This record gives sequence, structure tokens and C-alpha cells, in this order.
Amino acid sequence: MTDHQAIELPTAEDIRSLVRPDHVHRRAYADPSVFQLEQDKIFGKLWIYVAHESQLKKPGDFVRTRLAEHEVLVTRGEDGKINVLKNRCPHRGARLCMADKGTSRLFSCPYHAWVFRPDGSLSSVPHKKSYPESFDLADPRNHMQRIEKIEIYRGFVFATLNENPEPLLKHLGEMTEVIDNLVDRAPDGEIEMADSVFSLEYRGNWKLHMENAADIFHPSFVHSSSVMPARRAPANASIIDQDQTREMLMANGFGFDEWEGIQLNGTPSGHTYMKNFYNRGVLSPEQQDPVVVRYRAALVARLGEEKAAHVLGMNRFNNIIYPNLIINAQYQQMRVATPLAVDRTLVRIFCFRLKGAPDEMFHRAVRFQTTLGSPASMIFSDDVEMLERCQQGLSKEEGPWVDFSRGLDSDRRAESGAVSGAASEMPMRVQFQAWVNYLTAEAA
Amino acid sequence: MLDYQTQRQIELFLFEEARLLDDGDFQGWLKLYEPQGIYWMPSQPGQTDPLNVASIIYEDHGILSIRVQRLLEERALVLTPMPRTTHLVSNIVARTAEDGGFAVEAAFVCVVHQDVKQKLYSGRHAYELVRNGDTFRIKLKRVSLMNCDGVHTPMAIPL
Repeated sequence: MTDHQAIELPTAEDIRSLVRPDHVHRRAYADPSVFQLEQDKIFGKLWIYVAHESQLKKPGDFVRTRLAEHEVLVTRGEDGKINVLKNRCPHRGARLCMADKGTSRLFSCPYHAWVFRPDGSLSSVPHKKSYPESFDLADPRNHMQRIEKIEIYRGFVFATLNENPEPLLKHLGEMTEVIDNLVDRAPDGEIEMADSVFSLEYRGNWKLHMENAADIFHPSFVHSSSVMPARRAPANASIIDQDQTREMLMANGFGFDEWEGIQLNGTPSGHTYMKNFYNRGVLSPEQQDPVVVRYRAALVARLGEEKAAHVLGMNRFNNIIYPNLIINAQYQQMRVATPLAVDRTLVRIFCFRLKGAPDEMFHRAVRFQTTLGSPASMIFSDDVEMLERCQQGLSKEEGPWVDFSRGLDSDRRAESGAVSGAASEMPMRVQFQAWVNYLTAEAA
Repeated sequence: MLDYQTQRQIELFLFEEARLLDDGDFQGWLKLYEPQGIYWMPSQPGQTDPLNVASIIYEDHGILSIRVQRLLEERALVLTPMPRTTHLVSNIVARTAEDGGFAVEAAFVCVVHQDVKQKLYSGRHAYELVRNGDTFRIKLKRVSLMNCDGVHTPMAIPL
């Protein structure tokens, strides 16, 4: 991590000069000082997803993650409340917890044995009498540093370093609908994060991944090496997944009709989503196989016919909650892209179990997670290759402008923001407009 | 413990598999699998459940054949330039399985070289093999990658 003081941060004027209506300067992806400003003004000021409550069922449960440039522990305290704590001993600064998740009623620093409770308060130090009389266990300076601002929306825990943030609900805006939709799909009204997560690091800027997730123009080209063999392969040759993998691979092979048929949406906060994507096979919304029939019956029993039909009818793909959270409710999937450096990004890929749904529904979600998110994915690996090639090209001085003009003449305005056809680069323009707004915002 | 000749045949079969992968003969490699054979690379140490826990790869012959076609497809972006690999298999221990086939364990190291990058993979293989004339077929190959639950970069060539 770059030392904070060592870099002169870009001014608001600098930032505005990097984004034109239809072009973005390569410095947005490659300049370490721009990256540092993003850490301060985006990842340090906006609500950032840190954990799901189902990972923190009982006191002492914790997960380790990142918030801006800090490694943090998200814990469930003895009082049942959720805490977000910097993973650092306040004594000598040592990293405290070396596990990604677990349960611990006490966090003990192995160096001089300061022991902390899950809420970050200092429980004990050995040989207390050798500390000065003024040393106080209750002094917050001796506690793990707390992130004070935490808000939870239907089990999704967000935190921010911003001391005066807008309410989470205001930031999420209409994106609450996709979180609602994911939770409402559970016949028991609750979702649970699966144990398995994929972590993948690529050599490229974090925004490249968020743009790619909103880019429905690239799949026909980037994924042709999996589309073509999937098309040639016989149907139902696999005995383990009811052809789900083959259908998912084939879904990336589309042309004019699909480009016209998929609608893209963008909001002023920088959130984007698209409508309709996987429309065939076991993942199709019209699927009537015995698993789905049983699942629908369970959902109808809880919600009633009309509400269940409404919940199941929502078919929005790659819902991107700015800056770095992607949710696919109908496939129970979630992704988080965490910037590590201007040219390094960690992508973590999760999936959820719908409580009360048939086990097979979860098996399909797990299959989805592997097919689209595994390091050996026949889809994602080609995406990553392109993200890295973009970074390689953008790291050079030549040809400084990136073109995002496609669709500029045909985008429409709707009540909630911008709307376009799938061939448009509107989502990237929306993301960059929000990016400029966040980076140039005056301190509150 | 197996008789020396069978143990040796199994070792040679594993070496042949490694050679096919290193030669880029992925279709030849796929032919080593039973028609319902499975290639499994778990994402968690000690993972026993391929349905409720996501795997890095959990594919049967039907899906593997798509994967192999993609490796041979000229536009697979992650394969340009085509990686070169050295698959090493060692510490091979085979025993007779209850179904009359063979349960084989081995250690592996694989070096993948592509463009300016070199990557190193290691771990353990567990095979279920069945007799097929004077050679064998793979019913199940389980690849326990040492860092299966770690942070990865894209993987393209089977281990």
C-alpha cells in the first residue's frame, strides 16, 4: 500500500478533466494518485458491503475482510451487536487475526498477549501492574479501532469510514429491490451464505471488472471459445448438472436480437443493472421441472400466489451496487471486487442458500458459482484475460483516451435514471459520472 | 499392496496422462476417462461434498469434452499464447478398491509457463481407476490442490 502522505492527490479539476461525456482518460485506471483518491473518497466515504449476517450467527463469530485500505474483522459481540474492527493490535500494531472466518470469544495478540473481546474492547493484559497507573483497560485508545458507522439492510452488513454518511437506504436507492428479491425468494424468508467462496486476483484496476459486469456487448466475442464448443456438444450429455453448464456457456453467444432485447439501467448513484439474461434450461424463469415446481409451491405457501409470482418474475442480471457489489438474486449469487492497488483487484464470489427451498435449488446455485466464478471457469477466465490486457495497454502513455461512446445517441431518460439497449456503453458512462461526483464531492 | 507389475502399469498410466497434458493432446487425455468419468478439483481442503460446496472443477465427461474443445479452440483468450506445462506425478501408491478397480494416490507438481508468467501448482491426486484391457480408464480423478481455498489466478490447463 502506498504511503498516504507520499502522493499528491489529484484536485477536483484534475478529476473532472479525466472524464468527458463519451471518453475517459487512461489515468483513471493507471494513476496511483487517482487510486489513492478513490480509496479516500469512494471506498473511504461510501457504504461498503462487509459481511452477511448469516456468517455471524452467534457471539464470537467473525469474518475478516477489507474496508478501503484497512483489513477489518466483522464480529458478533457478546451483546449480539455487530462490530467492524480494524485487524490490528493497538499496542504494537501487529495484525491480530490470521483467519478468514471463525468463532472466537477472545482475540489475543500473540506478541504481548493483549486480549480483546469481540466488540474490540480490551479484556486483559498480562502483568498489569507493570503498566503505568494511568493505563486504563477501558480507554478506547487501548481497544481495537472501531468503525462506528454500520448499517444492515435485510442481513447485508455495510460499513463506512465516513463519519457523516447519508443513510444506507438513500445510497442503495432502488437497488434495495434486488436485495429484497434475493431474500424474498427464500420460502422461509431467510437466506444463508454458502461456505464456499472463490477468491481470484487479477492484474488490473477494479473499475475494469465493474464495467465488464455491466457490458453485455463483449460476451459474443470474449466467450466464443466456450460458446462454440457448447453449441456443438450434444444436449444432456452431462449426467451431473441437467445441462446447466452447457446452457450457461451457450447463453454468452448472442447477436443482434439479444443486444436489442436486453435493457440496461443506470442510476445517478452509479448503480447499474440489466434485464433478462439466462433464459434457457434449468435457469430459465419459465422452468417447470419438478425441483422448481416444489420450490414454487413452498414459496406460494408463504407469500401467496400473487406475491410469489411477483418475486419470481423479477429477472434482473448483474445488479451492480456502486462501487463494488454485484448481486444476481435469481441465481443466489454475489460478487465483491476489492481494489488492492491501482493495477490489482481481488474478486470474491459467493452464493446463498434459500432457506426452505429444495436442496436441488442450492445445488444449482453452487453449480452457477462454479461455472461463472471459479478460477477455472470457462467464462470468467477469458474475462480476466481481457481485463489484464486492458490494464497493460492503459499503463502506457500513448493514446490516453478510452472510448465509451457506443449508444450515446440512443440512450433514454427514465424516472429512475438512464435506460438503454444492451449495445450501449451507457452503464460505463453512468459509473464514471458517479465516479466524478464522488471524487469531487466537498468533504461533508 | 499390489503386485509389482500392476503397480508399475498404474504408474506408467499416470505418466502417460501427464505426457498427454504436456503435449497438449487434450482429446487423447479425455479418452483416458470412462464415459461417465468425473474430474473433481475441490475448493476446500478435505471437501467431501461436490453438490453443496462449490468446486473449482466438478465435471463429467460431457462437460469435460466442452472444456477440451475450448482448449483446442483458437480463440480461447486465456490460452494465447498457449501455456506450456510440466506435469510431474510421484509418490504413487495404488491398492485394489472394493469394486475391483484401483484406488491410486499420488503427489503432483505442475509448472505452467505462459508468456512472461510462470505458475506453480502442487497437491495430491486421488484416482479411481478401472481395468480396460491392458490399460486403465479413469472413473474419478480428484485433484486436491494445496492452495485450493487460496487466492487464485485463472487456470486453464487441467492439472
